[in-house]
Amino acid sequence: MATQRQSSVISLIFIYCAISSTSSSQQCSDKIDQNIVPAISSLLQHRRNITGEGSHRNLITSIKLLLQSESQFNELVIVERLPLGVFADPFELQSLQQRKVFSDVSVFGDTNLELPSFRSNRSVVEIHVDMSSRDYEHGEISLKLPLHARYQPLHDSGYSRVEFGEPDLFLCSSHLPNQGHEQRRCLVLSIGGLKTEAISVFWDIPAGIRDHTEYVSAFTFAAAVLSAFSILVVSVLSSKVESCKNSKQS
Amino acid sequence: MSRGSEKTDESPKWMNFRSLLVFSMFLRVFLIIYGEWQDAHMEVRYTDVDYMVFSDAASLMASGESPYKRTTYRYSPLLAFILIPNSIIHRSWGKFLFSASDLLVGWFIHKILKQRNVPEKICTYSVMVWLFNPFTFTIGTRGNCEPLVCAMVLWIIISLMKGNLSQAAFWYGLVVHFRVYPIIYALPIILVLDSQIFRSGQKPPLEDWNTGKAKTTTSNTEKKPLHFNLLTALKSLFSRERIMFALISGGVFLACNAISFYFYGHEFLHEALLYHLTRTDPRHNFSIYFYHIYLHYERQFSAVEKLISFLPQFTVQFALVFCFYQDLVFCIFLQTVAFVAFNKVITAQYFVWFYCLLPLILPWSRMKLKWEGLLCIIIWIGAQTHWLLWGYMLEFKGVNVFLKLWMASLLFLAANTFVLVKIIQRHQFSPLFRRFRSLSPKM
Repeated sequence: MATQRQSSVISLIFIYCAISSTSSSQQCSDKIDQNIVPAISSLLQHRRNITGEGSHRNLITSIKLLLQSESQFNELVIVERLPLGVFADPFELQSLQQRKVFSDVSVFGDTNLELPSFRSNRSVVEIHVDMSSRDYEHGEISLKLPLHARYQPLHDSGYSRVEFGEPDLFLCSSHLPNQGHEQRRCLVLSIGGLKTEAISVFWDIPAGIRDHTEYVSAFTFAAAVLSAFSILVVSVLSSKVESCKNSKQS
Repeated sequence: MSRGSEKTDESPKWMNFRSLLVFSMFLRVFLIIYGEWQDAHMEVRYTDVDYMVFSDAASLMASGESPYKRTTYRYSPLLAFILIPNSIIHRSWGKFLFSASDLLVGWFIHKILKQRNVPEKICTYSVMVWLFNPFTFTIGTRGNCEPLVCAMVLWIIISLMKGNLSQAAFWYGLVVHFRVYPIIYALPIILVLDSQIFRSGQKPPLEDWNTGKAKTTTSNTEKKPLHFNLLTALKSLFSRERIMFALISGGVFLACNAISFYFYGHEFLHEALLYHLTRTDPRHNFSIYFYHIYLHYERQFSAVEKLISFLPQFTVQFALVFCFYQDLVFCIFLQTVAFVAFNKVITAQYFVWFYCLLPLILPWSRMKLKWEGLLCIIIWIGAQTHWLLWGYMLEFKGVNVFLKLWMASLLFLAANTFVLVKIIQRHQFSPLFRRFRSLSPKM
């Protein structure tokens, strides 16, 4: 049901994007800061996996990233564009944030947890991980995003396949609030939409089978009618029996 | 609880009602404290996810925002209001409130049975069916609000038994605003408000347990046929008591809705009322309709299809009301079981709605625990367990077992029907009220 994918990307030169965060605007500069690039050059490995069983699973993203100790870029940001058939529970993610699993997490898009996939829209999850406070061996961080399956469109095989694309990965500098004109710098490590590898992570979710429709409907109504009729007959007979008893006694 | 096996009150001292209530209270307090520990230390939480929804909604209301900003909050704003102390005092405030309601239900059960002169021992056993039912004592301590609704329903019965129609009507209007499903009790309540039973300033005479026992030899109670007399009902349909009850309960219901609408607008109407009236959920649940709804979810149902699917429910409700309305408590118990069994969506919390009424009918049942009672329990729980096993395979193992799960839901409906039929067959019919004109026994 799930496949494991491993890829290696060696990045020596990064696209440097300075993102200035103010209360009302963002700017992007394509100026490359030579002081930044050596501090963050690293071997980046990126693995993806779906673990667990049933309708509630975890999307595991393992990232190998070696940082130099004086690097100011200590926050990893992952933007996960979820496919249509699954959703992340914002309240569950909030509780993970409260338990310090993530430093920040947000869900955008369709957060209705109850609709089937053919009545819902896609959602995006943005996760922030403070790397300076995390213990990780050999520069590897493993992130577990809990996901839940929506009810799928009907499928003849009885299963519907949901495929996951690649996340967008950023490395950002520390967020410094209350310092007037805030400056945050982020490096784009990976853009999911640009990936062209054929192998992807997927999840086969049970789906209703269209061929069942007619006889399920027929038997459902038959069962309801039969049960209702049984209760009706017993009720009328019981009340008649009580009525006869009382007539005899009086 | 067969009268044939009744002995004099010789229950052990520890089993008196007061000590049972105190023990139940400590049990619930312990479970609430344990629940807090489990939530903090284990991955699987003790607290119901609905409680988090209520608490978040209460927190939003406390900050002056709409509780309906919390997704899946589909209740009256009143619930969020009474849970505001969750944000101010402690997050467990609501659990203590619901557990207190749970204990109140036990007290009300005892009170109703004592009013009908049920022997103390039988009262105690009946109360234990509620207080020590594992389902009921976990539901309140996990933060589910159903015990509050149950307490209100039982208080309505007590008010009717006291002849306090205004009070009964007030609480009835409130409980229907709070939870909608008690609307099904409207017809039997209205029918039982006979002018021969309810007279201004007088407590209605109750048919007690001993009188019911004596009915096998002589009877000074209802001599009329026990099935519904259409002509008589039409004649006395618009009695003063009925009009008063309808106006007060309707007024309270509309007033609560108007206030809620004033503050929260269409969000309230849609989430707290219309959602429950039109709810169809394609996701798996105990209802026989879930797979049928899922298979048709990509297209809308026509009005005719919706009407046809409602017919069995409608028929059963009317049959039960017209056959048993005089035995009001028994009638609303049967209605509730049938309502849940034939509903488009069935979740386990709905079972509490009839669990609180079951102890009130047991003293009039000829069904013995060994072995008929046990058979009913085993069949009902067995059918549920069977469904849960397939549900586990689907939800936690990811195996396509939709068809088997649907068949399990058919089996669950069959089990519900079987138990309902057995309860009806073994019930010693006993009207709740006696008519004033038949009070004097014939010499």
